[in-house]
Amino acid sequence: MQGRRRFLGAAGSLAAAGALSGCSTAVGQAFTGSAGPSSLLNFWHPFTGGDGAQLVGMQSGYRKRNPGTDLKSTTLVWGSPYYTKLTLATLGQRPPQVAITHVSRLPTLAASGLLREISPSELDQHGLTAGRFAKSAFRSAHHAGKLYALPLDTHPFVLYYRTDIAKKAGLLDDKGQLTDVDGPDKFLDAMRAVKEVTGLWGASIATVKDPATCWRFFWSLYRQLGADLVTDGGRKVVMDRAAAEEALAYIRRMADQKLIPPGADGDGGAITLLTAGKAGFLMDGEWQLLAVQGAVKDKFDMRTFPRIFRDAPYACAADSHAFILPKAPSEKAQRADKALEFARSMLDASLDWAKGGHIPAWQATARSSAYHHLEPQAHYAEAADGAAYDPAAWYSGADSNLYRRFSDVVSSVVGGHTRPGAGAARMHAALKDLAGMEAPI
Amino acid sequence: MATLTPAAPRTTEAATSPPRRHTDSDRLFNRVVLGVLIALALLWLVPIAWATATSLRPPNDIATNPTSWVSDNPTLSSYQEILSAGRIQYWYVNSLITSSLTTLLAVCTTSLAAFALSRLKFSFRRPVFLVILAGVMIPPQLLMIPQFLTLQATGMLNTYWAVILPQVPNVVSVFVFKQFFDGIPVELTDAARADGASWLRIYWQIVMPLSRPAISAVTIFVFVWSWNNFLWPLLAVTDPQMMTLPVGLNSVQDAFGLPQAQLMASAVLGALPLLTVFLFFQRRIVEGIAGTGLK
Amino acid sequence: MSTATGVRTTGGQRWTASGMLLPFGIFYVLFLLGPLLYTAVAGFFNDSLVKSGPGEWVGTANYAEALGSPEFWSSLGHTLWFTVLTTVPLILLSLTLALMTDRFSRGKWFFRLAFFAPFMLPSSVISLLFMWIYADQIGLAQGVVTWFGVDAAPSWLGSPNWAMISIAAATVWWTVGFNFVIYLAALQEIPRDVHEAAAIDGAGPWQRLRLVVIPMLGRATTLVAVLQLVASLKVFDQIYMMTNGGPDDATRPSLLYIFQTGFTDGRAGYASTVALLLFVIILLISLVWFALIRRTEKEG
Repeated sequence: MQGRRRFLGAAGSLAAAGALSGCSTAVGQAFTGSAGPSSLLNFWHPFTGGDGAQLVGMQSGYRKRNPGTDLKSTTLVWGSPYYTKLTLATLGQRPPQVAITHVSRLPTLAASGLLREISPSELDQHGLTAGRFAKSAFRSAHHAGKLYALPLDTHPFVLYYRTDIAKKAGLLDDKGQLTDVDGPDKFLDAMRAVKEVTGLWGASIATVKDPATCWRFFWSLYRQLGADLVTDGGRKVVMDRAAAEEALAYIRRMADQKLIPPGADGDGGAITLLTAGKAGFLMDGEWQLLAVQGAVKDKFDMRTFPRIFRDAPYACAADSHAFILPKAPSEKAQRADKALEFARSMLDASLDWAKGGHIPAWQATARSSAYHHLEPQAHYAEAADGAAYDPAAWYSGADSNLYRRFSDVVSSVVGGHTRPGAGAARMHAALKDLAGMEAPI
Repeated sequence: MATLTPAAPRTTEAATSPPRRHTDSDRLFNRVVLGVLIALALLWLVPIAWATATSLRPPNDIATNPTSWVSDNPTLSSYQEILSAGRIQYWYVNSLITSSLTTLLAVCTTSLAAFALSRLKFSFRRPVFLVILAGVMIPPQLLMIPQFLTLQATGMLNTYWAVILPQVPNVVSVFVFKQFFDGIPVELTDAARADGASWLRIYWQIVMPLSRPAISAVTIFVFVWSWNNFLWPLLAVTDPQMMTLPVGLNSVQDAFGLPQAQLMASAVLGALPLLTVFLFFQRRIVEGIAGTGLK
Repeated sequence: MSTATGVRTTGGQRWTASGMLLPFGIFYVLFLLGPLLYTAVAGFFNDSLVKSGPGEWVGTANYAEALGSPEFWSSLGHTLWFTVLTTVPLILLSLTLALMTDRFSRGKWFFRLAFFAPFMLPSSVISLLFMWIYADQIGLAQGVVTWFGVDAAPSWLGSPNWAMISIAAATVWWTVGFNFVIYLAALQEIPRDVHEAAAIDGAGPWQRLRLVVIPMLGRATTLVAVLQLVASLKVFDQIYMMTNGGPDDATRPSLLYIFQTGFTDGRAGYASTVALLLFVIILLISLVWFALIRRTEKEG
């Protein structure tokens, strides 16, 4: 009986919504293409899972403080389809007023003319001055000398470890922190000690069906060797094949000594190895924090990805989420003021964001004692200083063609199908290939 | 399935003669065939039934026992969640408006063109006919880039027009109409002509009223096709409130934080409109789609 | 035009005809013919989605790149593989179902409902249904094979070896009804006395089927095969939604490759090149196929 009443209620709400809720004006707009009411603020983001949950909380805070704004938040699946939709929406003159991008995708979006520049006066007006952001993240939010984004965080490639396993392996100091694992041999030694304890693997990493992780693994090592890939917006290849070979050879050493699994996949397989105690280390992004925490509670800790090579300043693959204002057809539709106000509100809630694992770009939070007491987040916070962003090219950035081409090689080297020298040659060929294509920007 | 009986003889001759005696093996064979057929038909209903069953279960129920068909406490809460989110209602309206207008424009323009090709005499009739005929070979999906650029240049993306206009030139409809018009006796139109009626009037007042079957076939064909079209509306509209039903459902799938029961509830709600229409007009729809395809 | 009726010149009809062809003609030129010409021309430019203007003339560079690109060939291979995986079962299954259903004069509505209803559903509903059925660990399909005693059920959409087969199976479920009703209609047109005559001549049921019924279905088979072939070569929706071409690009068909190069990478010129190549391939395959079927039909 109750079921039926509910069903009728549902059917009724359908009819009512169709007939009443401003549907006729919406239909009118749908014919003319005019922008919606000025109270509307559309926000697109790719956050699901733990990130999504944190965001929901931050947004409800904004809604409470801004009852006059109708915030419409849309989640779109992460990866290149997200950027495709963002591009199509902007070309179609109906972009969201504010959206999230990875700064690694920023050069392409900005060069395509899809973004609205954020002026210094607007920054002042909303208290969003340069000094209040993490330096490297803020620098990466520029393209051709102009600011196009406001970084929310830095999210580096880090090292997870099981404290219980590390302790048994004798790798913990008296403060319960991991002892020195920096340097090519030291890191392998530590893995070997862990392998003795787990009886299976030293470290876990997703090298199958996870192009992004493969890329970050390679890119961290390669950048520590001080080498670069491309210049001139991706048109000129400056890849250092010897460095690439050295990085791949190091990866191969791990696989050869059976310290890392040859085929852990990105759909949770790599994380499960850590949480199930089959590996003592996990090399992954810090955003897996909540997933790991949920499984092993406090029996784990995190630190920066080890410094393996000393040829250059410390580097670890990293990216930043940032707010962008996709270019709208008119200032009326742009609502830049509202969008910036929203971004500011999200930045002020950075501590919540940090709980999901990300290092806040907003310095007021990053320097706060609340953040310094946040564990294990505080243990890898200095990774932000060594953040190595992806090279600027139209085929580079989050979930890009470059990831796919390079990860093929990394995956194959880990699996033992390709030797490091041949792998470096394949990378070089792939890069030449990509750089030689007619660029769309 | 008590209504199922072996087919009756179709010729009058056979009907008057005593029915051919079925041997026991014939009868057994028929029964086996019937059994297999019913089993397959039920198998064919499994996915929809499975989705419906899932949509009626409470989310935590699914987490504990995902592959179960029944729930101790079925609920419509997933449907309520989807409906109160308020987006699917827009998608219904958008799909209804765009498909209806596409159909209207297609029926009008293609029948008018078909009438000219069928009834009027002009020197370039054959080449025009051949050019239109060649259009059957152009898969519209391959033209997504120029179509997108055209509509972008006119600033019409993210309006209904962007969805509607590129779907209007439906070449197959021209043939369905032309074939039907060719079958209408020439005397009829000649007589009207002799009475001084204009060609437009003949088209509108004589030929079209006689062409109900063709109109209904084309209407059904174009409507169903544009209702279910995915690739083009995916490119033409990106604002969630502007999406057609298929594209909107895809965006639901995008937000994969949603509980499985809600995904299945959206799928059922997405299937509902055309399935309902199909239940009521089964024969006509089958004829409209298969018949149009046949030509 | 005040002359007596019936004597009006064809010149008058020419203007009427032009007027009547114009509305359709505008749509036809704007959205079919024009875009096709654009596609043919844009392939020679480095046209970009995000820059206005046609870009620069690059000659046959795009063609060279496409024909030398492993991604172009692998996506074409996937398209053909999908075509084989769907066309063959769709024809055989729909024919079998129609032959079986035709034996019964009443209750046809039920079978038509069961087999044809899925064809009415939008592709996104199909994708939602089958992503749930094919889900890892919790999906119905893995549950069923585990019940049959298979220890490690494959990851239907996650394994490069299975993903295309799984998508093809979902497609067969979705579209078999269309062929089914065409065959059913064709079977209904075979006069009953043909069967009777064959039976009197002493032909058994199998012989009747092979020698009488199947040949009479030639026209329907031609039609079904050509429509199916062309539809399969243009596959996009369900793959885009279920796997987006993955895992490891193992299911990416040509149309998705065009979509990705055109709209994700923004390389409109290159994507046009690939589109034109695919157009030519579809045209050739369907012409050859058509000719082959026509010939066997004549010989039969």
